[in-house]
Amino acid sequence: MIDTFRTMARTLNNPFVEKWKGSGGKVIGFPCTYLPEEIIHAAGMLPFRFRGVGTTSLSVGDTYFGPVICSFPKCILQLAGEGRYEFLDGAVIVPGCDSMRRLDECWRKAGEDYQGSLPGYFHYFGVPHKVTDYSISWFEEETVIFKESLEQYFDLTITDDAVAEAIGLYNGIRRLLCRMDRLRTGDTVLLSGSDALAVLVAGSAMPRGSYRELLEGTLDSLEREARDISEGRKRLMLVGSVNDDVGFMDVIEDSGGLIVADTLCFGFRSYADLVDESDEPLKALTRRYLQHSYCPRMFGYYKDRLQVLRRRIREARVDGVILQNIRFCDLHGSENGIFERDLEAEGVPCMRIEREYGPLVETGRLKMRIDAFMERLG
Amino acid sequence: MKQETKEYQYDWILWTIIENASVTHDGSVKEYESLLTLIPHFREALDEIIRQGEAGICLMKLMARYLKRCLTAHDEGRKVAFTTFCFSTPVLYAFDVVPIVVEAMTVLGTFIFKRGTGEFLDYCSEVGFTETSCSSQRGALGAYLAGLGVRPDFIVCDSPGICDTNANSYAFASAYLDIPFFQLNHPPTLADERARRYHQADFRCLVSFLEEQTKKTLDIDRLREVLEEVRKQDELICELTEFQRLTPSPVPNIFNLFLYSGTFLMSGTSDFTELLELMLERVRENAARGVAGSRSGGERVRGFFSYIDHYTTDLRFWRWLESREIAHLGCILSSFWQEDAIYAAGRTEAAYAVRTDSVDAMIDSLAAQMSRMPMVKSIRGPYDAPHMWLDDTMLFTRLLKADFVAYIGTMGCRNTWGMVKLLARDLERRGIPTLILYADAFDDRIQSWEAVTDRIGEFLHLRGLTSGEPGLVSSG
Ligand code: SF4
Ligand code: SF4
Repeated sequence: MIDTFRTMARTLNNPFVEKWKGSGGKVIGFPCTYLPEEIIHAAGMLPFRFRGVGTTSLSVGDTYFGPVICSFPKCILQLAGEGRYEFLDGAVIVPGCDSMRRLDECWRKAGEDYQGSLPGYFHYFGVPHKVTDYSISWFEEETVIFKESLEQYFDLTITDDAVAEAIGLYNGIRRLLCRMDRLRTGDTVLLSGSDALAVLVAGSAMPRGSYRELLEGTLDSLEREARDISEGRKRLMLVGSVNDDVGFMDVIEDSGGLIVADTLCFGFRSYADLVDESDEPLKALTRRYLQHSYCPRMFGYYKDRLQVLRRRIREARVDGVILQNIRFCDLHGSENGIFERDLEAEGVPCMRIEREYGPLVETGRLKMRIDAFMERLG
Repeated sequence: MKQETKEYQYDWILWTIIENASVTHDGSVKEYESLLTLIPHFREALDEIIRQGEAGICLMKLMARYLKRCLTAHDEGRKVAFTTFCFSTPVLYAFDVVPIVVEAMTVLGTFIFKRGTGEFLDYCSEVGFTETSCSSQRGALGAYLAGLGVRPDFIVCDSPGICDTNANSYAFASAYLDIPFFQLNHPPTLADERARRYHQADFRCLVSFLEEQTKKTLDIDRLREVLEEVRKQDELICELTEFQRLTPSPVPNIFNLFLYSGTFLMSGTSDFTELLELMLERVRENAARGVAGSRSGGERVRGFFSYIDHYTTDLRFWRWLESREIAHLGCILSSFWQEDAIYAAGRTEAAYAVRTDSVDAMIDSLAAQMSRMPMVKSIRGPYDAPHMWLDDTMLFTRLLKADFVAYIGTMGCRNTWGMVKLLARDLERRGIPTLILYADAFDDRIQSWEAVTDRIGEFLHLRGLTSGEPGLVSSG
């Protein structure tokens, strides 16, 4: 079953999406964990998290974006320009960071030049950078505006009941993913970091009902087999910029490491917090999404994030931490610098690396750095 | 960092240089000229400033006073806050907090020191900050992180939602120095009811933070005093901008720098009002004589700088423009959006007004002003949305009759590099010649100053915007 997930993680489109589209379903793309995707699900549509997988050139991305921009949004734009996102009926832009929010304009302008590259529904979803009573209210209004825009554009109604049902389903998936987390952080490790990532990435690109079933079955069989893969390997944690690249994890794990924990947005941060099912659905959703395990776009919360790291390091008995950032990702890159200072001071070995998103052209360099880190871990 | 660089405190050395430079003109002209020869890397810049007469002399004295205030704040029992250039200072002055505007400190180091702030830029990277971050903060921040300056008591910034790179620098500094941090953040729109409510609630939160940090309650009379000063300054600034519309523009190019430095460092203080009055005197004189603000009194071509200026060693940017009789009609940093500004006519929703009739009115005025600060106003949303970058650039270009638009930024500027190609394309489609410079305003190591002038010169030549040979315009 893991192979199904791995195949999905290696490609953009997948058979589930094709089947969904074949039966008249709509797909809405979004880039970030700050979008309450339950709304899309409640609208009867498929939420699909953007990725740049399979990019081989940046000819389109570089035409609109300037030179000093993170390659993640550039790769997304590239694929859009090449028509590889043609299965999208809509797209939502979320200001995760400056590079990501400018995907809005760059994609709109590319849409003028590359016919059909811009989905018909295109929406900008604002997210405050801090948590206060008024920022939560603003965010709730923004969520209502988003919901209404979907209703209006696609001529449908998103009921409270449907949102509540979506919340239930998503929470169910999150609980399963927490169960998967325990299969990695315990004394015996039942799946590798790259396999876990494949499972997570697939979950952002397929109907969530089917995903829950598949996930549950996978976890059952992993627990049944109970095959420990940790023997002789160093337990690592991966931190930093967005990563949906299974190949990148493979490079690390092929060097004798085992990624037993992470704080990534395709990883732990996407499932660590539940939505309060006892509260009014929209309110509960907005609270969860604005306050979920913070990423550095929420400025001034460094200490909270350090606490999360410390907790994860303890829980998963991590031997070393890999702090990575995509080039030009100053948010994660700089925070990694302080994490390194503070964790090293506590005796946790850390390695910082800067990398590109996209085709793993840097495998040799990465491997060398990781080998050296493994040596340090002894 | 070289041992010699660590020998002196960064802010102290800036103050001694500016303090000494500010008295060079107190004696006779002959004495001044002799003193100039003794100044190493900042001679031409100083002369350019002093040459502006009373206004230039006043600016130097005000800068010296500002820097001294930063250095002596703690001894005098005041709190010191790190803040960013686009944070409007009146609220800090109302609390008697001394703002250290990090970007302004970087500008000073960039044009005064022979090697600019290179070592401090690199020091930031050594302590973990990405080398791809914006140099405007990194330049001075490196010195402060190395302990070569006053240790701030807390940080206030207003860039989240506007410029993450900027906000990230301050968040980094707060985590690194382990000092309190407060951010005002901004929704992607400017003028709608939701944005207004957000700005006002956020600003009240800032007031509570400042009360907590200073252990003082907001002094209403002091706030009113500061705001009355802001109101006076706003009138003067509006008049100054109107003069820029004249052809030739009687406003000396470097007044643009005076205007925004004064606003960023001293808005709401009587010092700044005095500076503005002196600037206006000079501009009125030039206008009465029908001459341009340049040394020669001539104007060959008019340019609008769609983003920021270039702060290379010895402020060569302004002198170079002057020597080519290129009028500098301002940049994003000199647009403030007072209700009476010429550019705000018919766009009142994009402007702010200063009201002092009640505490709430005052706080709301400050919130509105803060949300219209340079950059905060125009790059918070999509560049092509109403009241945003394209809209403003076209408005300024038309109002000020600019012949061209040039973009200078920093290589760390994700925000503008994410859209400047689109902006340039849109402007060109509307017939406005537009140049994107791949330089870094605070770091000459990215692109040499000579390369910058070559590029501007060649652009003007090719677009038929200057008479004469290309060599004439392009030589540095
Ligand atoms: S990796 Fe960093 S720069 Fe890239 S999109 Fe994510 S937050 Fe932005
Ligand atoms: S120049 Fe760009 S990166 Fe620097 S502070 Fe301004 S918007 Fe931010």
